[in-house]
Amino acid sequence: MSGCKKALTMILAFALSITTLAGCQSGSQSISSAAKSESPNQPIVLKHWFWPDSDMHTQVMQSMVDDFNATNGKNIKVELEIHPWDGGQYSQDLFTAAMGGGAPDTAGFKLTSTPLFTANHLLEPLDSYIDSWEDKDDIQDTLYKTLRSVTKDDNLYLMPWNTQILYVYYRPSMFQAAGIDIPKTYEEFLQDCRKLTRDTNGDGKTDVYGYGIRGSKGGQEPWGSFIYARGGSFDNLTSDASIQGMQDFIDLFQDGCAPPSAPNDGFNEIIANFQSGLTAMTIQHIGTSVNMVEKFGDDVGAFAFPDSPQGRWTSMGDTETVMFSSSKNKEAAFEWMSYLATGAGQKTWCVKTGNVPVSKTVQQMPEIQNNRFMKISIEGAPFAGILPVLDTTTDWINNTWPATIQAALLGKITAKEAMEQLDKALYSK
Amino acid sequence: MKKRHSGLIDFFALYLPLGVILLFLLFPFYWTFVTSIKPKSELYGSVVTYWPQNVVFDSYHKLFVDFNFIKPMGNSLLVAGVTTLVSLLVSMLAAYAFSRFRFPGRKIFMIMFLTNNMFPTVLLLIPLYSIMRSMGILYTPIALILSYTTFTIPFSVWLLNGYLNDLPKSLEEAAMVDGASRSQAFLRIIFPVLIPCLVATGAYIFMTSWNEYTFAVLFTNETSRTIPVALKNLIGQLGVQWDLLTAGGIITIIPVCIMFFFAQKRLVAGLTAGAVKG
Repeated sequence: MSGCKKALTMILAFALSITTLAGCQSGSQSISSAAKSESPNQPIVLKHWFWPDSDMHTQVMQSMVDDFNATNGKNIKVELEIHPWDGGQYSQDLFTAAMGGGAPDTAGFKLTSTPLFTANHLLEPLDSYIDSWEDKDDIQDTLYKTLRSVTKDDNLYLMPWNTQILYVYYRPSMFQAAGIDIPKTYEEFLQDCRKLTRDTNGDGKTDVYGYGIRGSKGGQEPWGSFIYARGGSFDNLTSDASIQGMQDFIDLFQDGCAPPSAPNDGFNEIIANFQSGLTAMTIQHIGTSVNMVEKFGDDVGAFAFPDSPQGRWTSMGDTETVMFSSSKNKEAAFEWMSYLATGAGQKTWCVKTGNVPVSKTVQQMPEIQNNRFMKISIEGAPFAGILPVLDTTTDWINNTWPATIQAALLGKITAKEAMEQLDKALYSK
Repeated sequence: MKKRHSGLIDFFALYLPLGVILLFLLFPFYWTFVTSIKPKSELYGSVVTYWPQNVVFDSYHKLFVDFNFIKPMGNSLLVAGVTTLVSLLVSMLAAYAFSRFRFPGRKIFMIMFLTNNMFPTVLLLIPLYSIMRSMGILYTPIALILSYTTFTIPFSVWLLNGYLNDLPKSLEEAAMVDGASRSQAFLRIIFPVLIPCLVATGAYIFMTSWNEYTFAVLFTNETSRTIPVALKNLIGQLGVQWDLLTAGGIITIIPVCIMFFFAQKRLVAGLTAGAVKG
């Protein structure tokens, strides 16, 4: 009996000492590595969090890191830490790590998460770095303005990296069959939606719908273009102009210019409808262009959402980089961020992954200009914007907007009632 | 005539519903496998094919050569294996003590074990991350093993405690009357009877550790990534790499299936044999 007790005690003591020793060992390693990085010949090590959208993205990013490490000339060494996007959980993981004291120096970032991080003083304001940055003017002012608008303290926490700008995909063969050209104005666009809606085989049923409305989650982005085209805005959803934009949207559906499934159509449905030839136009960004070209070859084109005297807006998807306030090497971190925004990293990333560059110089490069979808995306950049970033935004996007739009499209509520509901939910009045 | 009639009843009452349920259960696995062996043109084509026109194993090749899937597999095996051993050892001894001895604070300890499992794991994330970081074990397999044991041990203790309470004390008492010490009685009498329960509990611990994601995504980096995190990396913001994801899914379930194949024999044999005979 006492032998067994002794054996058990020994095992427990052994297990405990192993754990403690492991802790001590790794602890001493981290201390020594920290001490090492302070000595003059040792590189300045930066940790960068990154989420890949495919394994190709990981390879491209790793090649950029290798290139930066080899060419920066300031002995900066970036170490990449890859974390899954996981439907947006990435931002939460980054937040947890930062709150737990393990924030990286820099990270890939989505602007909608900014308030959460700034409320906990986790991000470093970038104004002082950008003001003295030689490439400051290589990025459009409107983009800085948009990124600055996500926080109320008027600081800029986000460094632009790349964007995805929504534009209209269309089928040239269907335009030709309907005898129309690319619409130059918003009014023409609305008319073309009607002209493109056709019964092609004479059976009395519509075979092609002019425009693929996205009435389900995510549809608020293309919908915003209609609101602004009538002079409305997200800031005042109940204005007459905003209500008129909503009425246009409802009319398109109720006049039969969009598939009957539109109130429930999400991303997959609008793309499938467009690819099966059920719709002649739909709004998406460059991310789907490769599949479109694979499917249609030259019989797919793109144009920026048409202009209107009252206003013009399209939605901008975003990816930025941020610097954490806990970083001990902020100058080096900014060096890496500028490599991604306007340096060689910007070109490599955008050319290889098909994202839209934020650097004006890179935008003018032949590799970008020769890509018709990239060109249209850049054309949309000056009037591209984002939804207001508020505490209510996520719920509004996921729940309020789809439910309200569905009711409005199906005629259960009027455009005015819908806009009042949307306004109330977004601004919690 | 009667025989044919009963055959028909068997078919409609037994085999048909069974077939439908089996189809319902197995179709996702079949679809995962078929997706993993489809060429890209078929995978993303508009025509749905239930068996690929050209069977290709490119996704498996890509998974192991370009994606280096062996590494997360090894990490997962190490973490799940060690977690299972540590949790089983600790919880077996703890459950035996809780079951056989009456000591002050016994009930409170048992309740504390239970309440530990009532907290959502996300609540523990930041404190555990901070602790792992200050201990210097963040991004090592030890971080995951330690954090997994925080919820596998309490659950296993309760599970094994239930089994042990059902075992009559007379088993050990008989051995002890014959001159065995408490530890000998435990090792020679209780332990062999407990094996099926340990296999069942071990299977639970292994599966939980093998599939766990929330801790794994934060407490590991590229060198210590486990399978669920590696596979999640294939689900991007703008699309999913179905070929690699499904190939990874198929590879992932193979070790678990093999483990169950062997564990099942033990499990069934042990459970049907019964503890006390005669």
